[in-house]
Amino acid sequence: MNILEVEQLTVNYEKTSVLWDVNFAIPEKKIVGILGPNGAGKSTLLKALLGLVKPLSGHITFFGKPLAQVRKRVGYVPQRSSVDWDFPITAFDLVMMGRYGKMGLLKWASKEDREATRMALEQVEMLPFADRQIGQLSGGQQQRLFIARALVQDADVYLLDEPFAGIDMATEKTLLDLFHALREKGKTLLIVHHNLASTETYFDWLILLNTCLIATGPVSEVFNQQNIWRTYGRSSILLDEAAIKAKNKTSGLL
Amino acid sequence: MTPLIDFFTDPILRPSTVGCMLMCFASALVGVVVFLRKRSLIGETLSHASFPGVVIGVFLSALLIPYSDELVALAILCGAFLFAFLGLIVLNFLENRLQVKADSALCFVLASFFGLGILIASRLQQSYPLWYKQALIFLYGQAATMTNMHVIIYACFSFVILGFILYFYRYLEAVNFDPSFSETLGIRSKRLDDMMFLLIVLAIVVGIRSVGVVLMAGMLIGPAVAARPLTHQLSHHFALAGAFGVASGFLGNYLSVVIPQGAYSLPTGPMILLVSSAFCFLSLLLAPRSGLITRYLRMRRFSFQCAVENALKSLWKGEEKASFPPLIRWQLKRRKWIDPQGHLTGHGKAAAEKIIRLHRLWEVYLVDYMGQKVEKVHRTAEELEHLMSPDLERELTELLHNPQHDPHHQPIPPPLPPLGPT
Repeated sequence: MNILEVEQLTVNYEKTSVLWDVNFAIPEKKIVGILGPNGAGKSTLLKALLGLVKPLSGHITFFGKPLAQVRKRVGYVPQRSSVDWDFPITAFDLVMMGRYGKMGLLKWASKEDREATRMALEQVEMLPFADRQIGQLSGGQQQRLFIARALVQDADVYLLDEPFAGIDMATEKTLLDLFHALREKGKTLLIVHHNLASTETYFDWLILLNTCLIATGPVSEVFNQQNIWRTYGRSSILLDEAAIKAKNKTSGLL
Repeated sequence: MTPLIDFFTDPILRPSTVGCMLMCFASALVGVVVFLRKRSLIGETLSHASFPGVVIGVFLSALLIPYSDELVALAILCGAFLFAFLGLIVLNFLENRLQVKADSALCFVLASFFGLGILIASRLQQSYPLWYKQALIFLYGQAATMTNMHVIIYACFSFVILGFILYFYRYLEAVNFDPSFSETLGIRSKRLDDMMFLLIVLAIVVGIRSVGVVLMAGMLIGPAVAARPLTHQLSHHFALAGAFGVASGFLGNYLSVVIPQGAYSLPTGPMILLVSSAFCFLSLLLAPRSGLITRYLRMRRFSFQCAVENALKSLWKGEEKASFPPLIRWQLKRRKWIDPQGHLTGHGKAAAEKIIRLHRLWEVYLVDYMGQKVEKVHRTAEELEHLMSPDLERELTELLHNPQHDPHHQPIPPPLPPLGPT
């Protein structure tokens, strides 16, 4: 069964297309890498899947249903740089936020909520730092908290925006082990990534993106010289030209 | 000297005192959100934007209901609310639709709305000089003339704001920290934001009667700034800011009556602001972790500790340095590291060996693991010997396989047995 299906997804910022007619399907129990050069629309793809940006056109289904019906089964890890780390909360509070969708208002956090939060902190090896203000933590530790916050959501699909960016080796190893454990439990992960060197070992499945979908499928079939070249090489120049043309036009998409 | 209790019982002092406390409480609470969103200047802009509403409210009530003070007060509040709200809409339109940068948009709304207010007010001055004075009250605020009616209105607003924050606390935390993640949880962050900004407008409108449009922004931000260095939890931030707000409201009233000793009266609004600024200042200087003075004292204490430990070391090495500065000598005696004659005690010897041990262990580490030159490591170790924790010492010992000599071939004193009181 396909966990996620995307048909004819197009997203525009102003007059520029960020994603153009993207179609793909993701089977379950896969660690999926989303790769492409800067500005290829990787983050935008995640945001469109989560309903955070409104697509111009397209049809997205998780587990065969629209997102609104299965929201609680979809977890999200935003880019670490997208929030203000001076915010007055502790590591524990941050991770607990993952449960806010289920907790309801005005109630104290239940025993299960606290237990789940502690377990998630334990899984990312951050329990000793539970009472620290989040700003006092290193980049890798902050990333671990973001992952823990997604873990307490107990979702079936996780969308992660550059979880490996700017973290230490130890954290990278921890996260990778964690991702593999999640896959064993039947979860699917979509991970925005931009290190080609580690691609083959990290992922089972790839989405190569440069505004258009370049290729998608199992790593062994898709990850080859020609596709990489089409993603990062000559075609990106062509697409840039198309983008500039689109910008200069006063109406229409391209 | 007016007794404290009078501020809550005296029919003239009470409305102003209680009213100011309520209004400061409410604005401090919403101020926390404004502050955390880094939108501190929004208070300044919206309070000025409300001014034409105040003038029009006065103007209309002058024409229609000139004899009812309560209704006039209500009309003014409504006018102020409408215009502050309009200011907010224009601000959002400028920022989101016309892509004007936030600071320019804030300036533009402030200047244009306030200008409009002044224009209408000067027209009012010519035909209704008495009512013009009414409008001017809102420019600088006038807490002293508040009535019980005001107190009731302010109490209602404060409860609305407090109730909102308590009810939506969890969502406020999530949305203000990470709006897009909150959205994926199914929290309607846009709608919550809209409600929050409506409350900010409310708090401003409530506040301008006592501190005036010119000073209102300070009332919003002051308590939040004062509370921030004292906590790293959002709930505590709200609570502390609220407490600072209430305290500024009370002390502002108290000082404006007490300082002049009845001879004349000081304006309450500016006094409240000064008290709140004093809280900010003290908190930034004295906060336990991040205060400027606290940090300075901590540094001094550390360098003093280093000096004491270095003195101890030189005694242990048998260097004849009889003349330590008196403060250091006193500290050495206080810790029972030397006896009254200035000789090292057993206690002192153990402490010195521990420091020497840390120093030499560290030197081994620097040479073996960091590849530093033997002759260069002494200085670094000289600083780090004062910093190492017992945990670090244990780990270092294990990592280096419990070395017996440092890179300069000096013996490393053995670790102390788990010792009694030091």
